[in-house]
Amino acid sequence: MTSLTRLDPVAVPLAQDPSTDISPAPAVPRPGVVATTLGAAIEVERLDHGRRRRLWVPRPLSRLLGVALALGAWQLASSTGSLSPTVVGSPRAVWNAAVHLISDGELGSALASSLHRVLLGLVFGLAAGIGLALVSGLSRIGEDIVDAPVQMLRTVPFVGLVPLLIVWLGVGETPKVVLIALAACFPIYLNLSGGIRSVDPALVEAGRTLGLSRLGIVRHVVLPSALPQLLVGLRLSLGIAWLALVFAEQISATSGLGYLMSTAQELLQTDTIVVCLVVYALLGLTVDLVVRALERLLLSWRPRAVGV
Amino acid sequence: MSATVKQATAVSLNGISRSFGDRGIIADLDLEIGAGEFVALLGASGCGKSTLLRIVAGLDAEVTGEVVVARRRAVSFQAPRLLPWKRVWRNVVLGVPGAGRAEALAALGEVMLEHRAGAWPATLSGGEAQRAALARALVRQPDLLLLDEPFGALDALTRITAQQLVADLWAKHAPAVLLVTHDVDEALRLADRALVMAEGRIVHDVAVSLPRPRTLESSGYVGLRRELLAQLGVTE
Repeated sequence: MTSLTRLDPVAVPLAQDPSTDISPAPAVPRPGVVATTLGAAIEVERLDHGRRRRLWVPRPLSRLLGVALALGAWQLASSTGSLSPTVVGSPRAVWNAAVHLISDGELGSALASSLHRVLLGLVFGLAAGIGLALVSGLSRIGEDIVDAPVQMLRTVPFVGLVPLLIVWLGVGETPKVVLIALAACFPIYLNLSGGIRSVDPALVEAGRTLGLSRLGIVRHVVLPSALPQLLVGLRLSLGIAWLALVFAEQISATSGLGYLMSTAQELLQTDTIVVCLVVYALLGLTVDLVVRALERLLLSWRPRAVGV
Repeated sequence: MSATVKQATAVSLNGISRSFGDRGIIADLDLEIGAGEFVALLGASGCGKSTLLRIVAGLDAEVTGEVVVARRRAVSFQAPRLLPWKRVWRNVVLGVPGAGRAEALAALGEVMLEHRAGAWPATLSGGEAQRAALARALVRQPDLLLLDEPFGALDALTRITAQQLVADLWAKHAPAVLLVTHDVDEALRLADRALVMAEGRIVHDVAVSLPRPRTLESSGYVGLRRELLAQLGVTE
């Protein structure tokens, strides 16, 4: 507390006249100053700037290490017989199954029809979600009309719609695409309409003082400001589209990854099931990378610290 | 907002009132600002001076009374309000029909910011962003420039430079200026006329006829400063 005492303005005598009082502080302790604090020995340390030595492993390599360890443990469990092939095959068996599925074209054609479904569903779902969000975000009446029903529909788990979709649309491609579209519609709707509504009013006002028309404000202020949210919505929609695909392909499909999995299930081919799961994971990963690249490209104006 | 006439006043307000709910912010206020006149509007926080500026800017739809203002007007706010997703030069010419990079660079040159034309607004310092906002106002060649505490958020040293810049630009382009501020020295440094606002009215209107450039040593400066501070309820 002694240093606080020193800062006490009462304790420091005011310089009466700066022209005469330029001499260094007198040796006599000032009133209120505890004399022992000035010049008393304190502990100091020299800061070490030297690099700490440590084992240097390239980052990608150390990340792969965890995967390699898990694979090793899996292989070990399979080889020793503690992991039965009826539960799940060894990594080697899964690898062989993958090579086989790829070489006879089975995986390729399944992937093609799954991708076709997802893309079709996404086109409709994203278009509907973006369209509804624009209507509800950009006009008060639009919000009143669109938002409440969409919010109600959103609370229905889309998987629960499967029986209804089958009754309405049969078991062909249509219910599958519709299910994916429905699932993808909501995340992008919620994020985009929220993003539009959370535009900074100060910027809208600035746009008005710059002489922008209503359309100009939407184009130059509102939509760019909602873009980060739109991309968040896009990422969520793409993620949920894969989920919907898995469910959709359980509906009596005759092609696709889901079909491959359900036939493998009947034949107890766990290797094939694992291969399909890995493919799903890789697809999800690819989509995520694409959206991240899109974010880097479109949101380059954001300071790095805020970057996603 | 419809009829256009030519006249020598940039702003003429006649018996305008504005209230928020049952709280009157501006009550039966008259104000004239001549073309090319630099007017500073002083007042404590909450006295209605920013509301008055918004009315003059045409941003307030609920005002009653007669408001006639220059058609070509530009506003610079306390926050620069640049669009973060547009590069600086695009911000400058946004909303100016037919203006491109050349016009933007010319305006940015006037505020000594040409070298930052291609930067993102988020990378500008506070002073740079405020100067970019000033360039954005200038490029519109306004007959009326509205400044809402434009230097409030700047550090003391940057503020002096920015004030000097505004003084130079005003001398060169001669728009009418309405500067809202709570800084008496800023008003005395820049304005032809200082108004003091309190409780929704202009309670004091004084000509600042000091020779330019003005410094603390200008004769009459101290007296005017004391007078304005007293009107604002501050005694030193």
